[in-house]
Amino acid sequence: MTADAFLFWFLAALTIVSALSVVLMTNPIYSALSLAMTMVSVAAIFVTLQAYFLAGVQIIVYAGAVMVLFVMVLMLFDLKHELQAFTRGRFSGAFKIASIGSLAGLLVGAMYTANVLTVPEAASVANTTPKGAITPLAEELFLRNVFGFEALGVLLLVIAVGTVALSRSKGGTHARH
Amino acid sequence: MPDISILTTITPNHYLVLSACLFMIGVAGVLLRRNLIVLFMSIELMLNAVNLSFVTFSHSFGKVDGQVMVFFVMTIAAAEAAVGLALAVSIFKRFKEVNIRFFEHLKG
Repeated sequence: MTADAFLFWFLAALTIVSALSVVLMTNPIYSALSLAMTMVSVAAIFVTLQAYFLAGVQIIVYAGAVMVLFVMVLMLFDLKHELQAFTRGRFSGAFKIASIGSLAGLLVGAMYTANVLTVPEAASVANTTPKGAITPLAEELFLRNVFGFEALGVLLLVIAVGTVALSRSKGGTHARH
Repeated sequence: MPDISILTTITPNHYLVLSACLFMIGVAGVLLRRNLIVLFMSIELMLNAVNLSFVTFSHSFGKVDGQVMVFFVMTIAAAEAAVGLALAVSIFKRFKEVNIRFFEHLKG
């Protein structure tokens, strides 16, 4: 077994186990820590796919900023235990799990029958720019997608103002009467 | 002797199947859990799975369009988490609980 195959299987197992523990842990703070673990292992998978800059951004944005937001809100709530972590109903739970399983089977079966991914390896070899270089990414982002970039900037500003207004509001949807 | 090349040769299909598994775990979390915060975490899991398949396609086609899309998805995910957690705080202020059954009481 080659080194990159071993690395892939190790990272895949780590990702799946930590993602499962996000869903299965009943204490939300353990779910948050498992989610941070998932983010870090997905960043490592990005490194194996030679997307180095994205791996760094993944760690800074997800494992840094978003996780800090989650953990801060959890500590604000001080949730020690959860009385009813999962949905009620044995029948509806079995139905949900069956639907998830059939959707997963559909996706994986579609991938294996389509087999889209054996063809374009030659194209990636023919690409002259070195993989993982930051210059093509910056050109793509700031030359061809600059309108989307600016629109996302405006969206972030709106979201920041809206979040502050929402958390400061005394009335609104849940005013005490 | 069984063919073990599926174990030793990593194709982009492997990454896509991993991404599908991650997405399904996220769907299971959204359907099965009742805590609002854990629901948001499951949505983050699904967004990560989509990012993973974008990066896989970007790698196998040798183009960076997919990585630009991943930037956009990350921005949307951070904004969504901020708004969702602000809503969770406002629910918690009223009911002292973040179980989603209290969302039945939402009114304008």
